[in-house]
Amino acid sequence: MNVSRNLVLLLGRRAGPLGAPPRPPGAPGPPLGLSGPGSLQAWRSFRRSPVCSKIPAEFAGKQEDKSLVAHDDLFERASRDVRTKAAFGRAVDVFLKRDIRRRGHVEFIYAALKRMPEFGVERDLDVYNRLLDVFPKEVFVPRNFIQRMFNHFPRQQECGVQVLEQMENYGVLPNVQTKVLLVQVFGEKSHPFRKYQRLMYWFPRFRHVNPFPVPCQLPADPVDLARLSLARIANDRDARVTVYQLPATEPSESGAERTLPHIVGVQSPAQMELLSRHDPRRPVFVEGPFPLWLRTTCVQYYVLRADPVPQELRVEEPYDPERCLDYPLQLDLDLDRDLGDDESFDVEDVDEGPVYAMCMAGQGDQATLNQWISGLQEQNPVLGRVPTLFRLQAGSRELQAEPDRVRRPPPDEPTAEPGVPVEEEEEEEAEPRRSRGLKQ
Amino acid sequence: MNVHRLLALCRGARLGTRLAAWGVRPTGRDAVEPRRSFQTHRRSLAYAKDLFLGQVNQNEVFPYPEIGNEELEELQQFVAPVDKFFTEEVDSARIDQEARIPPETLNGLKELGLFGIMVPEEYGGLGLSNTMYARLAEITSLDGSIAVTLAAHQAIGLKGILIAGNEAQKQKYLPKLASGEHIAAFCLTEPGSGSDAASIKTRATLSEDGTHYLLNGSKIWISNGGMADVMTVFARTEVEVDGVKKDKISAFIVERAFGGVVSGKPEDKLGIRGSNTCEVSFENVPVPLENVIGEVGSGFKIAMNILNSGRFSMGSSSAGMIKKLIELTAEYAATRKQFDKSLSEFGMIQEKFAVMALNAFVMESMAYLTAGMMDRPGVPDCSLEAAMVKVFSSEGGWICVSEALQVLGGLGYTKNYPFERYVRDCRILPIFEGTNEILRMYVALTGMQYAGKILTTKIKEMKKGNVTLALGMVGKKLRSSLGGTVDFGLTGKDGVVHPSLAESAKKFEQNVALFGSTVESLLYRYGKTIVDEQLILKRVADVLINLYAMTAVLSRVSRSISIGLRNHDHEVLLANTFCGEAFFKNNYWMAQLQKNSPENNDANIKKIAREVLENRAYVCSHPLDRTY
Repeated sequence: MNVSRNLVLLLGRRAGPLGAPPRPPGAPGPPLGLSGPGSLQAWRSFRRSPVCSKIPAEFAGKQEDKSLVAHDDLFERASRDVRTKAAFGRAVDVFLKRDIRRRGHVEFIYAALKRMPEFGVERDLDVYNRLLDVFPKEVFVPRNFIQRMFNHFPRQQECGVQVLEQMENYGVLPNVQTKVLLVQVFGEKSHPFRKYQRLMYWFPRFRHVNPFPVPCQLPADPVDLARLSLARIANDRDARVTVYQLPATEPSESGAERTLPHIVGVQSPAQMELLSRHDPRRPVFVEGPFPLWLRTTCVQYYVLRADPVPQELRVEEPYDPERCLDYPLQLDLDLDRDLGDDESFDVEDVDEGPVYAMCMAGQGDQATLNQWISGLQEQNPVLGRVPTLFRLQAGSRELQAEPDRVRRPPPDEPTAEPGVPVEEEEEEEAEPRRSRGLKQ
Repeated sequence: MNVHRLLALCRGARLGTRLAAWGVRPTGRDAVEPRRSFQTHRRSLAYAKDLFLGQVNQNEVFPYPEIGNEELEELQQFVAPVDKFFTEEVDSARIDQEARIPPETLNGLKELGLFGIMVPEEYGGLGLSNTMYARLAEITSLDGSIAVTLAAHQAIGLKGILIAGNEAQKQKYLPKLASGEHIAAFCLTEPGSGSDAASIKTRATLSEDGTHYLLNGSKIWISNGGMADVMTVFARTEVEVDGVKKDKISAFIVERAFGGVVSGKPEDKLGIRGSNTCEVSFENVPVPLENVIGEVGSGFKIAMNILNSGRFSMGSSSAGMIKKLIELTAEYAATRKQFDKSLSEFGMIQEKFAVMALNAFVMESMAYLTAGMMDRPGVPDCSLEAAMVKVFSSEGGWICVSEALQVLGGLGYTKNYPFERYVRDCRILPIFEGTNEILRMYVALTGMQYAGKILTTKIKEMKKGNVTLALGMVGKKLRSSLGGTVDFGLTGKDGVVHPSLAESAKKFEQNVALFGSTVESLLYRYGKTIVDEQLILKRVADVLINLYAMTAVLSRVSRSISIGLRNHDHEVLLANTFCGEAFFKNNYWMAQLQKNSPENNDANIKKIAREVLENRAYVCSHPLDRTY
């Protein structure tokens, strides 16, 4: 298998540039690579799907090839202008037109499977069906029990399985047409058909296995992407996503264009309540960036959190017997739950500090995040009284904020940021000192 | 109990030296002046609570309470004109449509004295007892809007003044309220939640010169809020307890004339449309110091007492309504022909009438038993019983109204007949005066607390592994499982239950015994954490309600047979039917309460609810959805 495919590739590479000059369209030429035996086998009467009779100009030269078909080259020619589904389809058409007996279809299909991602059709069911359609029909269907018992036409069956395998890997669910094609090509109890049955057994079952599906197409707009990601990590239906700043460019004093990064934050009512009960003497921290993977994309987010309240500072609300007008909220009994009815698990309680809010921003520098905090302050006035410390990791900042580095003030030199309220400025004075003290 | 004892002291007047005989009216005209400020005998017995211990306190409920001949005659005098007024003068359809009670109807009610049924005569009221109040409620309930208006006025609105007000307050306010010149309202609920006292934000602050309070805040869903002249308002006040300043709730009498009281737009409701419900807000309303009801900071207890005492009458109201519905539908069922047969010959229609009759009968029995217990001298704590009456009758009422409508089919659904109005009006019953869910919690938890206090030592001994006790328990269980009968002495030679009902009484006794051991095992298993087991508490409450209902019918019918009331054989039939049904239901519920019971689906139910609530929607995919 591999040897022959390599050979094909080799030939293809060589044949591409050296190929004969294209014929004028419509000019007569040898219609098939090997005409003799082909005509002899005409009685087999292949059933094949209709293909367009006209071969596009760029493939015309192909027909000269006397060698094993240079399939990769077919695709290269097809993709000369753009690599699209149509181009891929054209390449398949050309192959179908070229030889009534579909010689080398196995190699062609392998080559096609390999090139599919390049054409962006690796998730396209139609294309897979067209590839399966390349197989000649009925030839490989076993006709008696002995054929059925042994591996009838193993190479072809293996190739068919490979097509389905690739479908599986890309999560493409076969349809009825696939089934019909497989039955026509390989018959009811063949390996590819079994593979199809297994796919159809498992795929639908696993389709909704992820309770938190990520959309296939992520939004291109960073603000929309941030919305989606934040809603995903917050996982709270009450959480409200707020856009604190839309990305924009504006001229700065020096005349140079400056870009304003987007700032999108999320906070739920429960978090707001927690924050409102935060002891103003204890600091809150802005931490990040933390990575979040959405399929193949990685985005980064920041959290506003606090350290857990130490045990000695926790106050429990005393039970107020005059709380409920209608029934006692607690029973005054000296009896505890029986051990046999205690169904709670022994869980190691790791005390984690509360997370008050999360955000995503176009830039991960302190100034930008400070803008987020001042935005949060409108809804959470307590933030005005709480010292805010920034604990930002440098590494990823390089990645994200490379172009803005020039403009960003050095961290040791606090300056008032535009849009930051006055009381925030005072904090700014105090913060870096403290954060330095904390970190070093 | 404590609450009630406290209350007893502040209204010492009513605990007279009268003989502890049935049918003496405690709130009657002779109960006004405080004759003695102490009590010779405190009734600490409580019927429903003792059921939690598996005890039948038969002296409390047998014989069925009755009223004297004199009172009965007096009652008839009131009933006849009221009945006439409601059948002839009240146009319920119009009240429903216009969403207001016409002034001439209101005037008629005032002339009949219905605004002061329970106000003592010396304050210008009718001075009737709870039992007689229940009888009149039967008639007033024929129009839901009027019933609610009257109840908001006197069952809760002026009750605060009546039970906790001082003499001056009573003198000042009760006469005008009793005559209906002034209408009362009860302002407790605030946006937030109904039962949560912590959600009360209305605040009364003492003015700088210390002569009055300034009231600020707003109350929602105030029945009669738009037309009330005198309101009982609950607000937070600063009280010093042991040198620490605390916020406590106090009750105030607020007149609209004080100024600063603003009523909102009346709510547009599903039923009881003629009653006025609206938001009332208070802006710097000056309330004189003497208008504090009880003491400053005692508002919580006053509110609880008012709420607890107002519920019992719902039983007789619902029964009155159902009796009326039976008349209306029976007429139709007897005349309407289908396939040459009248509707009344069809089994499924017959069943509906049986259900209605059973429900009305049981409600009535429970309501008058409870009213009779409340009328007894002493300060009987009947809040548990009253809550049970309310739960049973509101739910039974809903079933009956909908069955009555069903008899008429499509006709019942139209506005040409009063049934749809009854259905709408009836829907409020399980909601107001404490929702049924909350009352079930109240019933179950109060009983659990009571039983728990008594059983704690025993259970602790058992947990320690006291062999004798455990053996005793095992022996008891073995005996009952081997078909040993339980005998509380209800039947037999000196029994209080008539022999015709012996079978039912046996079932009742068996249920009580099982209930006692169920409660014990629940306390053993859950201890004080039972507060969080709402599904268990619901069943406990349901069993108790059925037990109380069984008691009520047994007691009532025994009396009926003994004195030879008309049609008492029908009562026997109803009682035996009801007890049989209740027996099976109780057994099923108590089987569910056993440990590892296969009948118990609670874990699944909780899980379903949790998943739905996490999703905040129906979880399942559509049956037509496909995955391939």
